[in-house]
Amino acid sequence: MSPNASVRDATTAGTDIVDLIAQVDGVRRALIRAQRGRAVLLALGVSLGAGIVGRAVSLALGAAPPPGVLTVVALVVGATTWWWLRPRRSPTRAIAALWIEERLSMPPSFALVTLVEQAGAPDAGREFTPLLQASQQIVRGVRVGDHLRAVRWSAWRGPLAFVVAGIAVLALSKVAGRIVSASVRHAMPGTAGAAADASAPLGAWQVRVTPPAYVGGKVQTSGDVASVTALAGSVVEIVGDGAAPDVLSGRPESAVTVPVIAQVRDGEWSARTVADSAPGTMHVTRGGRNRLLVIEGRADTIPAVTLDAPARDSVFREARGTLALAASARDDIGLTRAAFELLVSSGEGERFTVRTVTIGTVTWPTAARQRQATVRATLDIATLKLVPGDIVHLRAIARDGHPSPTRDLGSSETRVFRIAKPNEYDSVAVEPAPPPEVDKSLLSQRMLLMLTEKLDRQRPRLARADVVRESQKLARDQARLRLAIGDVIFQRLSGESTAEHAHSADDGHDHGIDQQGGKLSMNSASTSGMLEEGNDSPVVAINKPLLEAYNAMWDAGRALEQGDPHGAIPSMRLALEAIERSRAASRVYLRGRPPQVIIDIAKIRLVGKDTGLVTQRSLRSALPRRDIERDTRLVTIAQLLAARGADSEAMTVSRSAARDSLALLRVEALSDAPAFAAALGRVLAALEQGEDLTPPLVDARRTLGNVERAPVGRWSRGLPP
Amino acid sequence: MNTSRDSRLPHVPHVPHAGVEPFVFATAQYESGDWDSAPLVPANVIDSVARYTSLPVRPQGVIVPLASEAAFQYPLLYLTGHLPVRFTTREADILTRYLTRGGMLFVDDHNHDVDGAFHKTVREEIRRVAGPLAPLPNSHELYRCFFRFDDGPPTTSHEMNGWGDNLVHEHLDAVLRDSRISVLYSNKDYSSEWSFHPDNKRFLSIDNTKFGVNLVVYALTR
Repeated sequence: MSPNASVRDATTAGTDIVDLIAQVDGVRRALIRAQRGRAVLLALGVSLGAGIVGRAVSLALGAAPPPGVLTVVALVVGATTWWWLRPRRSPTRAIAALWIEERLSMPPSFALVTLVEQAGAPDAGREFTPLLQASQQIVRGVRVGDHLRAVRWSAWRGPLAFVVAGIAVLALSKVAGRIVSASVRHAMPGTAGAAADASAPLGAWQVRVTPPAYVGGKVQTSGDVASVTALAGSVVEIVGDGAAPDVLSGRPESAVTVPVIAQVRDGEWSARTVADSAPGTMHVTRGGRNRLLVIEGRADTIPAVTLDAPARDSVFREARGTLALAASARDDIGLTRAAFELLVSSGEGERFTVRTVTIGTVTWPTAARQRQATVRATLDIATLKLVPGDIVHLRAIARDGHPSPTRDLGSSETRVFRIAKPNEYDSVAVEPAPPPEVDKSLLSQRMLLMLTEKLDRQRPRLARADVVRESQKLARDQARLRLAIGDVIFQRLSGESTAEHAHSADDGHDHGIDQQGGKLSMNSASTSGMLEEGNDSPVVAINKPLLEAYNAMWDAGRALEQGDPHGAIPSMRLALEAIERSRAASRVYLRGRPPQVIIDIAKIRLVGKDTGLVTQRSLRSALPRRDIERDTRLVTIAQLLAARGADSEAMTVSRSAARDSLALLRVEALSDAPAFAAALGRVLAALEQGEDLTPPLVDARRTLGNVERAPVGRWSRGLPP
Repeated sequence: MNTSRDSRLPHVPHVPHAGVEPFVFATAQYESGDWDSAPLVPANVIDSVARYTSLPVRPQGVIVPLASEAAFQYPLLYLTGHLPVRFTTREADILTRYLTRGGMLFVDDHNHDVDGAFHKTVREEIRRVAGPLAPLPNSHELYRCFFRFDDGPPTTSHEMNGWGDNLVHEHLDAVLRDSRISVLYSNKDYSSEWSFHPDNKRFLSIDNTKFGVNLVVYALTR
């Protein structure tokens, strides 16, 4: 063979090798596509399956999440599946060559595999001719295209069926949903075949109730219902097809309604409201059709707690021992905390201190939905450090998961146990005195402090003149209160009630205090009053703080006078604290069994003990008709005589007419009523003489009516004329 | 404060009350606390009712256990004390039924202390049996149903006596049921103000128990 022929042969062999490798690469790519296609189809199938499962679960649970949520979930599941199933190792060129050789009916000779591997090796100068020929023979003997189609079909067949089935199920469910919706619409009178526009009559709806977040419950979906029950705080949503209707929310017992905005999305409208513990309504109107949804709001009840132990109240002689506590609690949603609460009251009379102790606390997470629980604890009474007379109110309390800070606790009934006093069966009867009258116009130091703090807060917004005016008002009140405190001090020290009139270091008499520059101080050299019982006596304990309060009030008053409420506040606080200390040291209270007071009602009403004889009143008989007429005429005459006015001529006429009528009446009475005629004569005489006509007219009328007046006695207070 | 008799009100003539049950002042006795801390208040209120009105009134008050259905016989219950108040289940049940049936409960804080144990606990209990308390306007008819109190509840000398919260409480609180006072709550310490022997009223220039008459008249007529 010539060199040229050798070169040509070598060139031809190289070209054949490249062609062979290209064919192997083509097979390799086809295999990769089949592998990846299978993974993608499987992922798609799983994604569809997830969507179907999600839709089925939501339908089974009665909840209907937004369509986008299901789509996203399905895509995420599909992507995860693809990531899981993705081909981690793609077929290499050798594997592709081996796949081709395995497609022959005889056992593989590995010629093509060897050629492919050696062709890619670094020492490419070796002789490939035998391998090339064998490989070409292999390639020629294999129908690669047919085998690749078979591989693809076998790899994709199953997943493809999965995908097709999924799509079919989804399509069927959609069609079924439309069929059901259409059948419901047909079932609703007046809505069949309605178009989805604003004038279309309102059709069927779906009601979703989303409970409050703290409850953690599932969304409840109801079909075309007229009423739903919802826990207070739940979101009640109505969903329907077509255009947005007019929606009003209100109360069954009230005509007041509030419009609710209906949202439209994807051909569906929805309107929502929040349920509370009272019944509510939603009026929906569209296309001339009105529908009403009644929302039966239900309050979240507070936990019910029962105290099982101790079973009854007790009295302990000594403050020691243990007490077993047990309580049961239940709640309609779920308990979050339970405990035993003890209120320990110490003191007597009107002076008590109270502290709260909580033991046996148990908590549960909200998600646990603990509807029922039993709580137990053991109380060591000695740990409460009780003294005789102390009272302990014990109860069990429980709280549910309601997030409101004002939410009530559930509580059991209360058991009371107390520590007996050594002399608790002794008593002394002391009748309390009536409360003293005090100056109610005084403002307390606490009130003054509050007002000053308020003025101080408002100071930046007020004009200086206003601040000074208000501050000086407070200063005057502060001064009055200071003087009242001074009265108390002087009364206690020396029995005098005036504070500042003459009390000073050099006033010539000793009150146990000195006054310097408006302030008071204890005179340690004094032997009067307060020192009789020594420095530890209650009197000293009371008066020292009162002196401090007095002096602090003095400082506060000066600051207020100068229009400086901010500067007065520290002194006012000092004064208040001093007063508190004083009153804590001064209480002496005695109370025994009060007298049984029975009110003498008759005595109070002045109706029960009047035994004097009184004149029996008798009913007078009616006047005869003649006398009634005469009485009427007499009254008319009296009215004429009593006429007043600016017209003197008219008055003259009236009096003249009255005189004539009197004379006429007298003449008529002369024969049958001489006493009446005589009385009328006295009236005429008085009229002629210009005297007061009232007495003779009254006398004449009494004479006519036979009215007898008792004579006025010496001891009588007089009778009306 | 104007405590004159309201002339607009119809005059109630004094007539014998044959067959009419007299008003009985009832003090509520509860298991916890010192319910009997103001023993002379009933006598004083009875005295005032007899003195100023013609209502038939029993001369002595009664003590009614809250756990007893006997409470239903009395239109007005008076409850006071210093100590924590915790109603038993039975007491709460009876009281709830009592208020539902139209009874009126007058609760007075004998501590006159908004930070006190009685105040805190009894308000909890009232909330439990009757609902939350709300401020009662000083223009409410309670203040003019017999005597006129133009400035609302009369101030007591005990509000600023150096004890309790030392505040003048400007209004009372109440739970209303159908616009009628169901529970009336006071921090003004009428229990101290009115707890003295009625014979000592003659020493007072102004009878400070007149507001008690309004309570009774309101409970009986509204």
